[in-house]
Amino acid sequence: MPHKKSKWIFTIIIMFLMLLAAMYLHLTSGIFTMSTSEVFKTLLRIESTQNFDLVIFDLRLPRLVTAALVGMGLAMAGVVLQGITKNALADPGIIGINAGAGCAIVIFMFFFQVELIDVEISSLVKILIVPIFGFIGGAIAAAIILFMSYKYGRMDMQKLILTGIAINTGFSALTLFWSLKMDENDYQAAAIWMNGSIYNSNWYFVSAMLPWLFILGFYIYRKAYILDYFQLEEETILSLGISLEREKIKLLLATVGLVSACVSVSGSIGFIGLMAPHIARQLVGIYHRYLMPVSLFVGAILLVFSDYVAKTLFAPVELSVGIVVSIIGIPYFLFLLVKAKG
Amino acid sequence: MKSSNRHIILFSIIMPILIVSVFLFSVSFGTKSIPLSEIFNAIFNFDENEANHQIIWSGRIPRALAVLFVGAFLAAAGAIMQGITRNFLASPSIMGVTDGSAFFITMTFVFLPGISSFKLVVISMVGSLFGAALVFGFASIIKNGLSPVRLAIIGTVIGTFLSSFGTAVAMYHQISQTITMWYNSKVHTVDMDLVLLCVPIGLVGLALAISLSSAVTITALGEDVAISLGQKTRTVKVLSMLSVAILTGTAVALVGKIAFVGLVVPHIVRMLIGVDYRMIIPCSAVFGAFFLSACDLISRYVNFPFETPIGVVTAIIGVPFFLYLIRSKGGEKYAA
Repeated sequence: MPHKKSKWIFTIIIMFLMLLAAMYLHLTSGIFTMSTSEVFKTLLRIESTQNFDLVIFDLRLPRLVTAALVGMGLAMAGVVLQGITKNALADPGIIGINAGAGCAIVIFMFFFQVELIDVEISSLVKILIVPIFGFIGGAIAAAIILFMSYKYGRMDMQKLILTGIAINTGFSALTLFWSLKMDENDYQAAAIWMNGSIYNSNWYFVSAMLPWLFILGFYIYRKAYILDYFQLEEETILSLGISLEREKIKLLLATVGLVSACVSVSGSIGFIGLMAPHIARQLVGIYHRYLMPVSLFVGAILLVFSDYVAKTLFAPVELSVGIVVSIIGIPYFLFLLVKAKG
Repeated sequence: MKSSNRHIILFSIIMPILIVSVFLFSVSFGTKSIPLSEIFNAIFNFDENEANHQIIWSGRIPRALAVLFVGAFLAAAGAIMQGITRNFLASPSIMGVTDGSAFFITMTFVFLPGISSFKLVVISMVGSLFGAALVFGFASIIKNGLSPVRLAIIGTVIGTFLSSFGTAVAMYHQISQTITMWYNSKVHTVDMDLVLLCVPIGLVGLALAISLSSAVTITALGEDVAISLGQKTRTVKVLSMLSVAILTGTAVALVGKIAFVGLVVPHIVRMLIGVDYRMIIPCSAVFGAFFLSACDLISRYVNFPFETPIGVVTAIIGVPFFLYLIRSKGGEKYAA
């Protein structure tokens, strides 16, 4: 719809400014106080000191970038899941993909002791492998969900969410089991990570996650038009000559990859994939080519802001960002349930 | 129904044997195995200077009793919920009832530390009521909210919200680790005083549940039928919720959060003995006692000599069962 394009561009610009504002909040706040001008001087390399460099480049910036990227990844996953399932309440966290990926990663950590806090170059290889393990776990979860919720060739939406809830509980129990077998140090690292936190992020994690986000994100964006077709009746799609199920599976696998990359870095964070597409749909309507970029911005803003809340609300005690997102996201989910028909 | 009668007779012969044997196993096995003769000695000729006797009375027996009764309480609570709501997924852990308890207990730890055990049990029961009221209240204002699947979704989400909120407050006060331990691995810290405090209260709830059982059977036939038979449906519902709150509240106060017992057990019992809640509720209590005791025994051996939280075992049994229920009954409206 061409006449909406100007509105869309306007929305994107506003979103971009809001993201900058959220990033500004995130970057300037923290236990180590720095004035705004000091932050900018350090960032722009005008006048740098070793302390400021450490705080900005080694601590705050990787965390900020991770938050933004994970927010984008989860938002995109949410758009795809809601698109292919035609279910407005689908979210990678709710339907258990997070938990599946998380469980596989904990098992990986149990066998290969990935140091999530102090990273040496030697463990970089391990960090790069982690998302692949997550992918296997996430794919298993997705396969169970598909198997359970298909009936007479159609996806039953209620069953989809229920199965997700069951898978979530099951994988969390398995995760708890494996994490308790770990020795104390590994357990600490795993526990921090499982709650959904990005506070010990670093550039290695970012580099492990980036290729997945780029390649799969680009692939999904190219396929965005197919998500529009999915909103039509099944018969209509078939008459268009699209092999529906094949496209669905491909998109779903790409989504699992996206989620696994996010989970491998930040642990399980739910509800971003639920909220971001909804908010974006309110803003720019249902066409996925427009919807998807706006969702990415909304996701990034939500997660950067939530992480800002997580680190400042009870400072110096940090909340895990996963909890902050749940506390914001669940009332939103309930609100959507109230609005939903039938 | 002749065959179900035969099943009930069989059930009442086999269950006591199973329960007694699992109880004895539970007291006898652990990081230190204690022979049966020692157990009988400890029970009938207690000797203070005997280390084994001390282990048995301070650790093993309270734990075995706790899981036995908690299994009975949770299963009975699940059975009565399934009957009253005619919802095959109804159970204390799915409908936010245990999360309500846990939330109130967390708040008590934070704001009223050092409270007496008795008050904690009462608060836990109030929390159960709160969780149930929140979930059912919300479900009743949305369209189709009381359908099994919707109610389960609402219950889970509100439960997650309560536990996230609780965790946030606990983190702020830096006791989140204490709280996590409290909910997940409380079974082996149970002592005799707590058992003696909680079990009688829970038994009151169990008695209430059993006394309601014929009314539940009628309710399970449908609201219209129940009203036409002259039942005061509102009173029955209120009393049922009260018994669920007492049963779940004492269970959480005694051993923490344990999921799936209240979901799985009533279904198994229904398969064995049919659809009459006058039988289902007491039989669920009996079978639940056996089920949770067996899970507790398994939990000690999964990763021997380390303990696995009992909730992990119930989840690993419960999740496939839950999936099976969704698969086989998801399309239908009612369970029983």
